[in-house]
Amino acid sequence: MRGEALYLPLSPYASLLTDANMPLITLSNVYKTYRHGSLEVTALTDFSLEIAEGEFIVLAGPSGSGKTTVLNLVGGLDRPSAGAVTVGALEIASASAAVLADYRLRRVGFIFQSYNLIPVLTAAENAEFTLMLQGVPRPERRRRVTELFIELGIEGLEERRPGDLSGGQQQRVAIARALAAAPGVVLADEPTANLDSHTAEELLDLMRDLNRRRGVTFLFSSHDDRVIGRARRVVRLEDGRMVGDSTTNR
Amino acid sequence: MNAFLYAWRSLWRNRRRTLITLTAIALSIMLVQAFHNLAVGAYARMIDDGVRAGSGHLAVYRHGYLESREENLGFSPANLAAQIRAIPGVTKVLPRVYLPALAQSSHDSRGILLIGVEPEAELTVNPFLKGLSADAMLRDIDGRDAVIGKRLLDDLKLAVGRKLVVTAQHRDGTLHSELLRVRGVVSTGMPDIDGSLLMVGRQRAALLTGMQDDIHELAIILNDSDEEAFVAAAITPLLHDRPELAAVSWEKAMPNLANAIKLDYASQKFIFVIILLIVTIGVVNTLLMSVMERLREFGVVLALGSSPGRLRRLVLIEALLLGMVAAVAGCVLGALATWYLVDIGIDLKRFIPETLEFGGVVFDPVLRAAWDLAWMAKIALYVVGLTLLAALYPAIKAGRITPVEAMRHH
Amino acid sequence: MLTALAFRNLWRNRRRTLLTLSAMVVSAALLILALGVFSGMIDDMLATTTRLYHGHLVLAAPGYHAHRDLHAHLPEVTAELPALAGIEGRLGSTPRLRAFGLFSVATSSQPVEILGVDPVREPAVTTLHRQLVAGRYLQPGEQGVVIIGSALAKKLGASVGSEVVVVTQAADGSIGNDLLTVRGIFTTGDSRHDGRLAVTSLPWLQHLLVLDGRIHEVTIAIAEPMTAFTVADRLNTVLPAGIAARDWGDILPEMRDAIASFDVSRMIVVGILYFATGLGILNTCFMSVLERTREFGLLLATGMRPWGIRRLVLLETLFLALLGSTAGLLGGFLLTWYMQAIGIDLSGAITPITYAGGTILPRLRAVFEPANFLVPAAMLVAVALFAGFLPANRAARLDPVAALREE
Repeated sequence: MRGEALYLPLSPYASLLTDANMPLITLSNVYKTYRHGSLEVTALTDFSLEIAEGEFIVLAGPSGSGKTTVLNLVGGLDRPSAGAVTVGALEIASASAAVLADYRLRRVGFIFQSYNLIPVLTAAENAEFTLMLQGVPRPERRRRVTELFIELGIEGLEERRPGDLSGGQQQRVAIARALAAAPGVVLADEPTANLDSHTAEELLDLMRDLNRRRGVTFLFSSHDDRVIGRARRVVRLEDGRMVGDSTTNR
Repeated sequence: MNAFLYAWRSLWRNRRRTLITLTAIALSIMLVQAFHNLAVGAYARMIDDGVRAGSGHLAVYRHGYLESREENLGFSPANLAAQIRAIPGVTKVLPRVYLPALAQSSHDSRGILLIGVEPEAELTVNPFLKGLSADAMLRDIDGRDAVIGKRLLDDLKLAVGRKLVVTAQHRDGTLHSELLRVRGVVSTGMPDIDGSLLMVGRQRAALLTGMQDDIHELAIILNDSDEEAFVAAAITPLLHDRPELAAVSWEKAMPNLANAIKLDYASQKFIFVIILLIVTIGVVNTLLMSVMERLREFGVVLALGSSPGRLRRLVLIEALLLGMVAAVAGCVLGALATWYLVDIGIDLKRFIPETLEFGGVVFDPVLRAAWDLAWMAKIALYVVGLTLLAALYPAIKAGRITPVEAMRHH
Repeated sequence: MLTALAFRNLWRNRRRTLLTLSAMVVSAALLILALGVFSGMIDDMLATTTRLYHGHLVLAAPGYHAHRDLHAHLPEVTAELPALAGIEGRLGSTPRLRAFGLFSVATSSQPVEILGVDPVREPAVTTLHRQLVAGRYLQPGEQGVVIIGSALAKKLGASVGSEVVVVTQAADGSIGNDLLTVRGIFTTGDSRHDGRLAVTSLPWLQHLLVLDGRIHEVTIAIAEPMTAFTVADRLNTVLPAGIAARDWGDILPEMRDAIASFDVSRMIVVGILYFATGLGILNTCFMSVLERTREFGLLLATGMRPWGIRRLVLLETLFLALLGSTAGLLGGFLLTWYMQAIGIDLSGAITPITYAGGTILPRLRAVFEPANFLVPAAMLVAVALFAGFLPANRAARLDPVAALREE
């Protein structure tokens, strides 16, 4: 890590906050532009958002509205073109690649629309992947994953390859992978878009449940009204700008 | 689950591609090993023939003789021959006299090299005398019998039992002639040898120049050429009180043969290098394709918090596994091929002349391999190293992947 | 349209195509270089024997060559025959008389082959006059002088100006005995010449051997050594009885066979190298076919015949092969050209090596021989098409419905 101070000297499940009154995630006046050859695409324009710890929040909007960009920025996969993205004490824009990799490894869990399980690994191995990267010994890895599989209702599928699992099962394995390292934040990009409505609802209930019991902050993107309807807080985006931020008592 | 397992499974994700690449590497190892072993076998054969006809694995000369071939630089073998013969590993010790001379019949004359030998020992060792029956050989070391090359015999219009005159320079500077009688005729297949070989007993040759019992060369034949260093070390103390003498290895005494082998092997090595180069390019191609088609997967792995270094290592481990499997398969194939070539060999009679001379020896058109296990292991390790080298670019490429772009990729 | 499609398809995965191309170019170019250097060795080997000594064609009495019989001589006027016979590409022809004897200087003596030559005509046939390391070549009309090989001079302890005693047998059975003065010393790299050959003037040797006005052979050099065989055949139909023409292949049968075997070794080397290259091409073609399964499904669904698909894939490999062999030829040409113009001197590392009666000189020097370019280029195209065949077949046999469903 070339001598850089670790940004967050915290234990798993502990708060990412250094000050209890500060929001966990802050995006302030963020701009993001991508270059596609000679074409410049603006993904986010003057976007500001604060998310507190333990929130279950959805980014809603049509495709291309900038939802994924927000997730990528919060997940440390990308840096803002202008403005600031802070998660806990970590300033994403100025962090080195190694710090960001470690941040993703220990603090963030990802869930993707197309599951993105590694096809050559079994379900359990996929779920263990981040723990392996962290250097957690194998028996401990197995123990945690077995617990998670029971909690997620996919026990008995540990040795299956992703190709032999249904979409819902694959996404549960992906959730197990995202949660295995006990991150403070789980980012899910259209997690239910590839699932039928029944499975999608089951999965949402599961995530809502995890959010309540574990206090893990969930940040979603979706254009699916069923998903949006289940969130306490909905942030609406259009053309890279925030057009609404509503909280309901649910 | 660990990185090796992940790498191993990834390797077999595209079974066909991995198999084709494996085949290419393994077959190249096999080819290189088999050809090397074949060459080693052929060289051993050439060296064996060469040393038996020529200076032996080791030869004792008086200082300066090898460079000048000056007849006056002889030495008395005294009991040196017996002492050397007693060294373990020494099969035969052959004292020889070499005299440039003129051979004349009533018909014609030829410049020749008169070789004075110890008949019994020479007959069992010298491949030039292969096919010569025992009663056609010289009978003693000082008789007037001569064994003559077939072409020289014909050039001089001689026949077995006929006489010829040999003229050489005496130590005192005058020319001396001796009458010899043809007893045996040899045909080696090398026109130069067949046209100039004339062998007599070593004392008869020595008498011609007034050398008495002196010889020019003490050729030492070993059981096994690998024992050369050991025997050379054992000879050194024997020469302590004979500072005018030195033992010389065949490579120095017969540069023609040694360099023929060197050149032949160098050209073979050039071909080996090209083969391995092509294989390496193939491995780069395979690994690069494998990285490029897993861009999305690598993007996910990065998103999950893997460092670029880990991805690079993953690609290198895949290459290592590929290289090791290929090396094992290649060695098995190489061993099978060598086994065949040791046992059966390759018959080139249809393609090369049967009496093809190379480096001063007749090249046997039936090639047989010899095992060189150390080299086989070495080349297998080289290939594993090359595979790793080939993985560097794909690994660097994998390390440069950015997760956001990679995951947008299909 | 198919042609344009095939060509563009090649560049869809630019990196892969370039890597495969580079393997083809490297193998073809280095192969051409290696073959050029081998040809250079053979060329040296042939030149050391023909241009330094034997010539390419020799006219002599029919029995002379088998045993170099002193008594099988011809009238000196035979030397005019080659000019009359009109040999194509003739560089020169020269009369020679040959004797074998012993040279002595002080207490040292050595067997020698003494060649009596015409100092004016000989340089058009052999290049010995350019190999002198000391003294000078024979002058017209000069008698009683000799040029000898460097190894022979060393063994005899002779230098330019030394007097040498010659002993040989004359044609009348008497012992020919005379003195010669060393005028020059040559070195050829061939131990057989350097250690044994002495060249003197023809009339002097005729006199020593009691063979005035007689010669043993007429040696002819031609521009194209490989045409010597047909020239000899033709000459033998027109030459008067008692004179036969022999080409260098008759004189050095092992060398002729060794050179002929080069064609076989060339094919072996090309075969081995292209085997590895072929597998690389096969791999590339397979990959490019497999990753376009959907596309082929679409083409089939829109009514393209399986043969069309097969042709498309084969056309792609053909383009790849043509590009590869063109670049390989160019690379091979440049490398060969460099090795022809500059070469590598190995004389510090190794001594000259005798091979098949000739001498391989200690240098790496390439020569241009069309077959060294044509064979690798043509074989590369053949190998590529062969390697493209399996993937082409696979693509043609796809079931369009299943292919379209594939991701």
